[in-house]
Amino acid sequence: MTHRARLCAWLVAVVGVTLVHQPAWLGAGLAVVLLASGRGRGTLTLRAGRAVLPILLVISIGYLVMGWLTAALDWRFLLLFNLRVLLLALLTAWMVRDVNLERALQGFPGAQRWLSIVRGQEAVLRRLATEYRAAVRSRSTVPPTLRQRYLAGAALALAALDKAVYNSEALTQGMRSRGAFDD
Amino acid sequence: MHIPDGLISPQTYLPALVIAAPLWLVARRRLQARLGDEMLSRLTVLTALALLLSTLMLPLPGGTSGHAVGVGLLALVFGPWIAFLAYSLVLLLQAVVVGAGGITALPVNALAMGFVGGWTTVLLFAALRRFGEGPAVAIAVWCGVMSAALLLALVLGLQPWIAQGPDGTPRFFPFGPAVTIPALLLPHALIGAGEAALTLLVFRHARRRRWLEVPG
Repeated sequence: MTHRARLCAWLVAVVGVTLVHQPAWLGAGLAVVLLASGRGRGTLTLRAGRAVLPILLVISIGYLVMGWLTAALDWRFLLLFNLRVLLLALLTAWMVRDVNLERALQGFPGAQRWLSIVRGQEAVLRRLATEYRAAVRSRSTVPPTLRQRYLAGAALALAALDKAVYNSEALTQGMRSRGAFDD
Repeated sequence: MHIPDGLISPQTYLPALVIAAPLWLVARRRLQARLGDEMLSRLTVLTALALLLSTLMLPLPGGTSGHAVGVGLLALVFGPWIAFLAYSLVLLLQAVVVGAGGITALPVNALAMGFVGGWTTVLLFAALRRFGEGPAVAIAVWCGVMSAALLLALVLGLQPWIAQGPDGTPRFFPFGPAVTIPALLLPHALIGAGEAALTLLVFRHARRRRWLEVPG
């Protein structure tokens, strides 16, 4: 299956899951996804769980408390809701693991270009933030006060922004000179 | 403040997609008309910054998460249409690259945070700037965050009425507006204050560097 077909299949599956309201079908879907996702399904489940568990816990506990207070608790709804959100998260984690977006977007140069530029810039910003934090830490042997941390954070953000814009200008000019914007 | 997948019904996200699609086309045309090399580099950096800010999420009782958005900054620097498009890209990347947020909830999230949040910020900034740039930016960004949070709280709070089974039990998000509005607005009042301070810092820097693409 090509990466674009996988991406389309994921979109159809995600929309399809929101149209199913039977916990048994959603449970079966969960089992199928776990079986079909092959090796690494444990990591996949952990990844999906990490993404939605906090939200599921907050909503489920809230629902249990309100149901207990109003004596209107519906266990079937709780099961349906949790299964659906978990299945959707698992499908998305599977797609993130197995779909190469650059390949899926072949034939859409504009989308590929935006994807590459923004992902590249995000990586640059993350790296700059790490570098500046290390630099601030290396300048003092005692831990900084809260005020110092805020001031260093502000200076870091603005310096990182300047550097990122400079990098981005160089990247854009490089892409322009190679004809990336000609189509 | 994203709504993740599975919390809102197709009766909500499909109409939202119908509303968002033509707005994305208008925004795309506006971007193409103004896009130059300098703007492209600044836009990608500030879009990446918004992506970075929105990855630091804290789950909230109202069914969403709390995080800085960055759309106010995008709207003040590039205008509301481009901010809407750029933030939609942030949401899309979060859904398909990070696996956070949701692809079905994307139109709702984009309309609330990117469109309503962006336009609220820009319109309020224009109305308040005669009282001073700093207060105008801070109030406009805070109101932009709160307006987006209010809209998302309403969308979530209406789910028990929009999508329910034959016996009246909810099929998606179970709480009404009496729960979702305070659960989202109270934490976002604090998040909005932090975002206002951050936006003011970067906005002043952007003005010094002559990065502002909107008049004024």
